[in-house]
Amino acid sequence: MPLKSQDGRRWRAPLGGRIPDGAHAGQVADAVAAIWREIDQALHPIIGHRGVAALYQRSLSLSAAAYPWLAMEQRGIPAAVDPAALHAALVQQTGAEAAAGGNALFHSFHQLLASLVGTSLTERLLRSVWDHSPGAAPAQDTSP
Amino acid sequence: MTTKATINRLATGVPGLDEVLGGGLPEFSFNLIAGQPGCGKTTLAHQIMFALATTQRPAIYFTVLGEPPLKMLRYQQQFDYFEAEAINRSVRFVSLSDDAMSGDLDRVLKRIVEEVTAHNPGLVFVDSFRSVAFASENGGSPRTSLQLFVQQLGMLMTSWQATTFLVGEYFNETDANPVFTVADGLIWLRQSVQRNSMVRKMEIMKMRGQSTLPGLHTFRIDNAGIRVFAPAQVVAAGSAAPDAAAHGARALLGVPALDDMLGGGLPRGYSLLVAGPSGSGKSILAASFLAEGARRGETGVVAAFEQHPNRSRNPVLVDLIARGQVGLIDSREPDLSIDEIVLLILTEVRRLKASRVVLDSLSGFELALAPTFRTDFRESLLGLVTALARAGVSVLMTSELEDRYTDLRFSPYGAAFLTDAIIVQRYIEVDSRLLRVMAVVKVRASAHSNELRLYSIGDEGIRMGQMLPEQEGLLGGRPTRKLPPASSAPTDVA
Repeated sequence: MPLKSQDGRRWRAPLGGRIPDGAHAGQVADAVAAIWREIDQALHPIIGHRGVAALYQRSLSLSAAAYPWLAMEQRGIPAAVDPAALHAALVQQTGAEAAAGGNALFHSFHQLLASLVGTSLTERLLRSVWDHSPGAAPAQDTSP
Repeated sequence: MTTKATINRLATGVPGLDEVLGGGLPEFSFNLIAGQPGCGKTTLAHQIMFALATTQRPAIYFTVLGEPPLKMLRYQQQFDYFEAEAINRSVRFVSLSDDAMSGDLDRVLKRIVEEVTAHNPGLVFVDSFRSVAFASENGGSPRTSLQLFVQQLGMLMTSWQATTFLVGEYFNETDANPVFTVADGLIWLRQSVQRNSMVRKMEIMKMRGQSTLPGLHTFRIDNAGIRVFAPAQVVAAGSAAPDAAAHGARALLGVPALDDMLGGGLPRGYSLLVAGPSGSGKSILAASFLAEGARRGETGVVAAFEQHPNRSRNPVLVDLIARGQVGLIDSREPDLSIDEIVLLILTEVRRLKASRVVLDSLSGFELALAPTFRTDFRESLLGLVTALARAGVSVLMTSELEDRYTDLRFSPYGAAFLTDAIIVQRYIEVDSRLLRVMAVVKVRASAHSNELRLYSIGDEGIRMGQMLPEQEGLLGGRPTRKLPPASSAPTDVA
């Protein structure tokens, strides 16, 4: 399912290069969780673990409008990003639905960060994560 | 033979700050940027950081518990100095909020040491430092632990050859805060509010090893960031005086008979006060002064402090401005300070290599100043005149004067003693007509005429007329015809 990007500029779905065509939900869930860990790795030194976690929660909440299964139970502000619950939700979908939801989630996150600090700084901060994506090989650590 | 340690001074990249600091920021110094919320501390820190950080001298900006880093990045990128490309290259932001929340200062210090050791920064910022102190209080640690923390941080940073800034809110500068003792430099930012006006001020309360400019210095924050206005005299000291030899020893006003009355024009570098009532032609004389300069290949600057921006100006002046022979300073910024005005004028003078400056008028100038400076208007005016004199330009100032026929007045501000020359204009009533007379009252160290002469204003500007020797009591406004017509030749006095 192609993702409709609102601003389209320089945004490409980070899952694209990391999962094979027709990937099953488990592969998608591993890749999504790995990308979140990379995002956390890139951003937490600057905005703190709690800062990244707050953006993560907001992105989930925004994406849940189109993908209701992304609505996670929110218990206050978490101390850090924990993609375990997300992983669990992803594996229960079909591969295609999981990939579409995952991409929508990253898109929401990208839009959210860009609305706060501008597209140029967002690109700058997330370059290491997005640059990682075009390669065919999935992220090194795939264990949830 | 002794070899003293050389203290390099870093150019901060904040206009005017290096002058106020006494020549830049000492390298490896440990500085405190303090002030109340909203006074520009974080902005100053960022501006300095982006100016100084290079890949050879990288910067680390530690954010503690103050402004959330995401918000700081959001707002700071609005300024021109912010370079997104520098981030994660020469500028690294590090959030210490998770460590600070624990309230354990040792843990915060440990994180700082780790980051500094890993990245070897030449510049370190800790923002906000106040929150470190709060964190320590919440953690129940005694105040001494903060002192110890600062002491260790200061020692570490100096040994690590990092120029360090602690950004913090301090409400009470008399507070015997241990941080103040440890710091090499103490930059205090303030907002002074009077009535409906707000003026930002900066004070360098301490800077080890160099003499800073004492007192409060005004500054402004706009899209470009912070601009500090160093004292007028300091700004003027850097100006090269216009070449008097090239232009002649006297600046002509462009009204030949009046130039004769002045003893051959206004001596170069003098300040001339033209005082007169409304409509007497002060601005026309000022325009003539600039036009005469332009005719002789000189450039000029006019500072207009009018309250009506759309009021039509003198066409001669409009033409000169359009041709670029006269620079116009038409600041509509609210709450100006004298130092800011002087900087505006001198910048324009330097740009155009101008030799003539017109201030039209002192009344408008007074209104343009922030209320906080109006009480010291005479001092401000003295500062302005001195600064322009130091820059070597010839100045013409106009001053609106209510006609008082009981005494001879020159300026409502007591500005007369500040100026080198004075021309006074008056209205008189003769034969049911309102006529104008003009006299040269003073030209310092130069012979000048003592004539009180009629003049008229026409399409070509000011035309000087005759004296009225048969009338007396002109300065009373209602002269009477003298009974025995006794004429005597006018004499020049020194």
